[in-house]
Amino acid sequence: MSDSKAKTTDFGFKTVAEDEKVSLVANVFDSVAAKYDVMNDLMSFGIHRLWKRFTIDCSAVRPGQKVLDLAGGTGDLTALFSKRVGPSGKVVLADINASMLAVGRDKLRDQGLVDNIEYVQANAEALPFADNSFDIITIGFGLRNVTNKDAALASMFRVLKPGGRLLVLEFSKPQSELLTKAYDLYSFKLLPKMGQLIANDPDSYQYLAESIRMHPDQETLKQMMEQAGFAEVSYHNLTGGIVALHRGYKF
Amino acid sequence: MLQLLPQMVLALAEKALADILAMDVDAKPRLKRLAGKQFAFQLQELKLRVVLTATDSAILLNQHQEPVDCAIQTDLASLKRLRDPNQLTQLIKQDAVQIEGDLQVAQQFSHFFQQLHPDWSGKLASYIGDGMAHKVEISVKQLAQVIASKAQQLDQLTTELLQDELQLTPHPLEVEQFNASVSRLQARLDRLQQQLISLQE
Repeated sequence: MSDSKAKTTDFGFKTVAEDEKVSLVANVFDSVAAKYDVMNDLMSFGIHRLWKRFTIDCSAVRPGQKVLDLAGGTGDLTALFSKRVGPSGKVVLADINASMLAVGRDKLRDQGLVDNIEYVQANAEALPFADNSFDIITIGFGLRNVTNKDAALASMFRVLKPGGRLLVLEFSKPQSELLTKAYDLYSFKLLPKMGQLIANDPDSYQYLAESIRMHPDQETLKQMMEQAGFAEVSYHNLTGGIVALHRGYKF
Repeated sequence: MLQLLPQMVLALAEKALADILAMDVDAKPRLKRLAGKQFAFQLQELKLRVVLTATDSAILLNQHQEPVDCAIQTDLASLKRLRDPNQLTQLIKQDAVQIEGDLQVAQQFSHFFQQLHPDWSGKLASYIGDGMAHKVEISVKQLAQVIASKAQQLDQLTTELLQDELQLTPHPLEVEQFNASVSRLQARLDRLQQQLISLQE
């Protein structure tokens, strides 16, 4: 930690310099942006829509609230939120990647969702918002790709209003042995092939599978959130723990 | 997988509701008055608490246990009686219905759904033509009438069977008569008691 040269982080199963990860992740998402939604539906058999609806349910969003959809990518959560907060509320779709943001913006505009959505290209580790400005923050399948997760959680804590809540939807550790085996087989053998076939990009989907394995498990992430200052942190395992939704409050 | 079942059901219901709203031209203007309100409904028999959020173009469905503008909790048996506004206070007294928050919001939502008249035959006409759609509409209406009258007949028949043939339950008039004679007996008893007391003195 003392020497800047020694600062490394994970990029899938590889270890890379910390300042390199951002651009490496950017490459991945630049290359998958166009086919992102199709691949999501295919890879998860459409279940990702239910995971996202579950997230909305856990957010208990009300009309008039201000929501930050961090690493919002192609805006699935933003679309659900935007309808629910209504004209008096606001949703900010933030992503570090300009390609993903562009795809998301086009998609939401095609759906006629324009009134209450703002688009911001931002790094989760240093959010460009004032303290205490959001009622709800969600980060869906994004925390995994952040270089310094503790800094990102601290930054989210800062911009969250007291009484507000953070929801982290992320791949996690399957709870049963059998499911783990099937899941490993699926994600290391099948997934890159699907990536090759549909998006012509096996490396990105190899990275996806690897980065999921490197992401902290349920309990570790819960502790990280508590360390960042969040209270009453709890999590729900979805689809046998393949995905977990963590929820924490700022008081 | 079962854990995500409510989300799936509500997602499908939300879509169906949007389709129904689209069939009623009057729905959108009336929805504007509801926009921004949240109403929660829970049946005791089901664990699910459905939260309806009205926006100016749709009614969105979610499920959670957090505070909303108005929340109603009831059971299946009371649900039917809930439709009659006169019975509401009685139901609340009996603890059959729990209401939290602004009752007016619940009434607005209920009013909205009661006034909803989706023009489904118009939608059907675009597939099978006007004439056929009209025929189907009339048939459906007749069928509904037949079912209603059959149900009434069955009701009547069961009542007659129980009261007259099997004599398992008394007729309401019989009950009334019985009650009246019990009251009369009570009165005579009271009188007798009074006489007895006066004689003793």
